Amino acid sequence: MNNELENKVPTIEQIAVLLTDIASQLMTSGAHTMRIIQNVSRMAKTFGYKIDLSVFQQSIMMTISDKNDDSKLLTKITKIKPLLLNFTIVSELSALSWDTYDKKLPYEEVIESFHQIVAQKRMSRWLVLFLVACANAAFCGLFKGDFYAIGLVFMATLAGFFVRQEMIKRHINHLVVFTTSAFVASLLAGMGYVFHLGATPEIALGSSVLYLIPGVPLINSILDIIEGHVLTGIARLVNASSLIVCIAIGLFTSMLILGLEKL
Amino acid sequence: MITTELLRLMLIDGLMAAVAAIGFAVISNPSRNAIFVSAFLAAIGHALRFYLIKTGLEISLATFVAASFIGLLSIFFARVIHCPAEVFSFPSLLPMIPGMFAYKTILSLIKFMQNSDVLKAQGFIMDFFHYGMTTLFILLALVVGVSLPVLFFPKISFSVTRKY
Repeated sequence: MNNELENKVPTIEQIAVLLTDIASQLMTSGAHTMRIIQNVSRMAKTFGYKIDLSVFQQSIMMTISDKNDDSKLLTKITKIKPLLLNFTIVSELSALSWDTYDKKLPYEEVIESFHQIVAQKRMSRWLVLFLVACANAAFCGLFKGDFYAIGLVFMATLAGFFVRQEMIKRHINHLVVFTTSAFVASLLAGMGYVFHLGATPEIALGSSVLYLIPGVPLINSILDIIEGHVLTGIARLVNASSLIVCIAIGLFTSMLILGLEKL
Repeated sequence: MITTELLRLMLIDGLMAAVAAIGFAVISNPSRNAIFVSAFLAAIGHALRFYLIKTGLEISLATFVAASFIGLLSIFFARVIHCPAEVFSFPSLLPMIPGMFAYKTILSLIKFMQNSDVLKAQGFIMDFFHYGMTTLFILLALVVGVSLPVLFFPKISFSVTRKY
């Protein structure tokens, strides 16, 4: 901190720390690789540096060098926190990078607004819980489930997503989280079979776990592959597929318990 | 032909897709404007896909058309509310993600593994490839469709959050 006050011009180390923090925050929030590279390069250009960036699933590697002086360069590797989707952060950081570029914002201002953006509160978890349950019930309706099925799916999703929220709060391995909440949701939805509710219990059982399907990582992975970041794309694809396998395992376990052979 | 019955079905389809999009969007915590836009886009896109499937188009092709329509509209909305297009175009695609097909794929694989009867096992492996390919092609159609407009108008798409 004292360094900052003494000399106005930020050092290459400070810039590197800021830029890798921004890049890893974008990756955590669910931006695709192309956007990360463009945003960070734009900011680096404003500060008078050029960068080369490699984005992996677990870490980001960046070499930053002075535009006019090639001997002044630095390479930094930063870990990426586990995925926690937050599109508000993505869009505001993207706006911040343009602001930096257009208004030539000074380093202090950029780092301050970065910390402000990251510190923003998320939407209330109870509201999210309710909306997700509604969404999955509507999804069941899209697959032509009857009213019993829709009601069952609503309850099942409420329970399953609650379990997921609680487990994520306790930092449990995310594969375990997905298996357990798929198990809970499908066990509840399977009650339609047990008590013979409605004419479409199989649709209730099938769509009860669909709120867990990792849609955004799947889309991001294909987008990365299209844009040429094949390694990152495949890493994301494998991640998403293993989550889907976990969902199927959870579903299959509750089908075994309920004694259902066919779906 | 568009009849009133078909219109009613499309409307219901669109509404349910909108509710689904809102719920799946809030998981990724977008801004309030983006949530409403994604609900609107999801409704239009899903109703369009519903109509195309009804007219006899194959599901992945119909998905491709619907996704590129969403992509085109999302660039327009991105200009209006100054927000990267994918923030609301991704959630509006989520109701079309082939989740049902994806886990049927895994399920038929598990059934194949557990079954010793050759004839039944052949059926399951057929199911596996059918569902797996459908999943893959729908996913590809979604992503390629929604990013086609971005690839055509890269200047616009990457500068929507620019205010000056």
